[in-house]
Amino acid sequence: MAEESAIFRLEGVTKTYGGVTALRDVSLSVSGNEYISLLGPSGSGKSTLLRVIAGFETPDRGRVFFNGRDITNIPAHERGIGFVFQNFALFPHLTVYDNVAFGLANGEKQVSRDEIDRRVREAIGLVGLAGMEGRGVHQISGGQKQRVALARTLVMAPSLVLLDEPLGALDANLRNRMRNELRSIRETLGVTFLHVTGSETEALAMGDRVVVLDRGRIAQFAKPDDVYAKPATPNVAHFLNRYNVFDGTLKDKTFTGPFGSLAVSATTPSDKSAYAVRYDRMQVEPDGSKGSGPAIPATFVASEYLGSSVMYFFETAEGKVIEVEHHLSLGAPKTYEPKSRYMLRWKPDDAIVFG
Amino acid sequence: MESRVLKPVLAVYVVLFILFLYGPFFVLGILSFQQGPEGGPQFPIIEWSTYWYRHIFGLTPPSRVAPLPLGESLFRSLTLAFMTMVTSTVLGVMSAQAFRKKFTGSGLVFYLIVLGMMVPGVLTGLGTSLLANNILGIERHWWSTAFVTHVVYTFPFAFLVMLAILNRFDGSVEEAAWSLGVSPWKTFRKVTFPLIFPGVLSAMLFAFTLSYDEFSRTLFASGRDQTLPLAIYGTFSVEIHPNVFAFGVLTTVFSFALLSVYAILMSLSVRRAKKIAMQEDIV
Amino acid sequence: MSVADTAPRPRKSNTWWLIAPGAIWMALFLVAPIALIVYVSFWTQTTFKIEPTLTLTSWKTFFGSDTYISSLFTTLRIWLIVLVTTFVIGYPTALFVGLFIKNKTLSTVLLVICVIPFWTSFLIRVLAWRPMLGKEGAINIILQKAGIISQPIEALLFTELSVIIGMTQIYVVFMVGPIAFMLGRIDPNIIEAARDLGAGFGRIFRKIIFPLSLPGVVVGAIFVSVMVLGEFATAAALSGRKVNLLGNIIVTQVGSLKWALASVVGVILTIVMGLVIAGFLRIVDLKREL
Repeated sequence: MAEESAIFRLEGVTKTYGGVTALRDVSLSVSGNEYISLLGPSGSGKSTLLRVIAGFETPDRGRVFFNGRDITNIPAHERGIGFVFQNFALFPHLTVYDNVAFGLANGEKQVSRDEIDRRVREAIGLVGLAGMEGRGVHQISGGQKQRVALARTLVMAPSLVLLDEPLGALDANLRNRMRNELRSIRETLGVTFLHVTGSETEALAMGDRVVVLDRGRIAQFAKPDDVYAKPATPNVAHFLNRYNVFDGTLKDKTFTGPFGSLAVSATTPSDKSAYAVRYDRMQVEPDGSKGSGPAIPATFVASEYLGSSVMYFFETAEGKVIEVEHHLSLGAPKTYEPKSRYMLRWKPDDAIVFG
Repeated sequence: MESRVLKPVLAVYVVLFILFLYGPFFVLGILSFQQGPEGGPQFPIIEWSTYWYRHIFGLTPPSRVAPLPLGESLFRSLTLAFMTMVTSTVLGVMSAQAFRKKFTGSGLVFYLIVLGMMVPGVLTGLGTSLLANNILGIERHWWSTAFVTHVVYTFPFAFLVMLAILNRFDGSVEEAAWSLGVSPWKTFRKVTFPLIFPGVLSAMLFAFTLSYDEFSRTLFASGRDQTLPLAIYGTFSVEIHPNVFAFGVLTTVFSFALLSVYAILMSLSVRRAKKIAMQEDIV
Repeated sequence: MSVADTAPRPRKSNTWWLIAPGAIWMALFLVAPIALIVYVSFWTQTTFKIEPTLTLTSWKTFFGSDTYISSLFTTLRIWLIVLVTTFVIGYPTALFVGLFIKNKTLSTVLLVICVIPFWTSFLIRVLAWRPMLGKEGAINIILQKAGIISQPIEALLFTELSVIIGMTQIYVVFMVGPIAFMLGRIDPNIIEAARDLGAGFGRIFRKIIFPLSLPGVVVGAIFVSVMVLGEFATAAALSGRKVNLLGNIIVTQVGSLKWALASVVGVILTIVMGLVIAGFLRIVDLKREL
């Protein structure tokens, strides 16, 4: 990607909090009009990364560019980058209208009363809160609060909006509805969203591209289907919550793990050796079956019905839990005997080998 | 089992304890209605009267008991308390705001500020008098040297109140304001200050009442013109009359009036918050 | 781009601008004056003026005078007695408010009742003891009416006793508050568990309740000590000038413009207080406890 088209760019950003490194040498470049998901477990530094871009934190090293300008030393209020908080952070002493009007009315730039009114009503309409202008922000529901927070940010017409787990405080139903709305609002306005989340489904569903952060480093930056199908590291595979990841050693094109030694054809370069098989690529066979391909014996523990699929939980002799997903489109769910042994088998081509 | 015996015993004890705390006040209150001008500051009550209250306001014919020199000293005390309140609260808010970020030497500065409420008035009073009298060579006044020692005394209280308030303050609303392009100073004025205002009110109340009643520092540092506590102290050395008691009742009433205003202001803001919370439940 | 260019500047901080006014105020009007007391205690005092020629004369005067030495001992004696009385009188109240009252509202109400007297003038509170303790005061009248005594007790007012009574009443609340606070934080389950193990109240008190309330006792003791050691008004109003504390000496000396001697007493007072506070802080590590 040409750097001129990048809306924001990080160069070697490092941030340490009292000896703990939150971000290590992070470089990232994002173009305009894009929805970026930032996925990482808690403590991976994802919120820190967002706060560095917003200007709430100063990096120890590295630089931040926005619209071609070096903003590393520019204070937050002069950056023109929107920020949406998990806890909404609405101004509790102001009405919905005044919350949305706050930036226009109190900013450095003078905006006429008429223009403020027009833009505020437009933004409130955009997030579907028309008629609620006069309410206090304590008088509205959680989903409405996050809409106010969004309108408050969007009314400033930023070209980049940072969202810090914006749906984290909402219940599951509302979260699904808000996902669609966030996407459509972003597409209407053509702004870039950088959306931090700890939920792999949210990250994959919403992002045009997904950044996976692991212990302060970017582990992968790719389209959702690429991340899903080809995780770059064992940890990414683990975060996705779709892979059974086995530890082991890779030597001379042979992977030795809990299932014995297997010859492998293709490997993904990684600093850690691991063997990953997607949940839905595993077959359950009766104990002692002599099929072809790699397999591991395991004891059935429990199953969980998910609507379009069923998850089966098995446990190996070493106590490792293995999950097997059965899509209901492939046939009716099977029943297994708890505490009985089964053989879990997969095709060698479906495995991703790191090392 | 023992607590079944112990609890009522302790309850009776606490009643006696409260009697111990309040007893002198009742006696003082009763004696303030002593007959005047002949009635002295002791029992028995010759005849109930409001003579000594009228005496304070100069509504009685002149007698051998000189009226308390209250008018000007009351004015000075109120002015001084007001000046102290404003200065201490501003300093308290600023310092507490600074303490929201970690900075080198914060521990030292914390103790430096808190020391002001720990050091007894005789010492700060004496020290400030030495500074004014023997180093700077300036005259001491209630509005200069005494004011300075009052702030040294009340600023730590305002600081601690604001520190407690700001500790519970969620900084993300401020970050939200910055991200909307609003400068830190304007953010403080439009977001932070309105939200911490109940705390500011408490800090002001502390500073005002402490200064209004301050005595030992003022004794050293105020020079010739007396504040109200000094005027009362002046009556200690000469014979006391029930007019001092009547005055004690009046200042107590005044303090409670002040406290009530504060309580009403606070309960109004609490009730507003409650009303909002209730509406939230409805939605 | 060189390495120096890529190092971000630390954000310009306004912390110093916020903290400077308060810190400077305290340095100029608290630290400097107290340092000055030490300095002036070595100045040369003549009848009419004082000069910055360093001398030990005032110190010798202090330690050569029975009056001043005895005032030091009076101060220490009264401090110790008031410390004990505030503790003995205050602890049961704190025990009741902090531990026995389970209802939060009621314990708050009781604490507020204890604090309310502070909203009246300190001097009025002192003065209120006069009609209480006097020869024709309320206590003597009540005792006589009750037939306990036939002659009024004259030793009640204008003695050391009246000073101690007055100070105890004024400062006992500073003991009650911190102790009640610490007692209120005790997990009731601990006491319940001890009771289940068959421990009586006396044992539970000695082994659990008192040790856990100790930080509160220390904080209360520090409050009371600092205030009693710096006292002079109560002694002046209730002792009829018979009890002279270090504070009273300072007031008199400043009144007669004997700055150097007043400063000597000030330094001694500061040292005494420093020792007392340091001593209390050795008993309990407050930073860990609170």
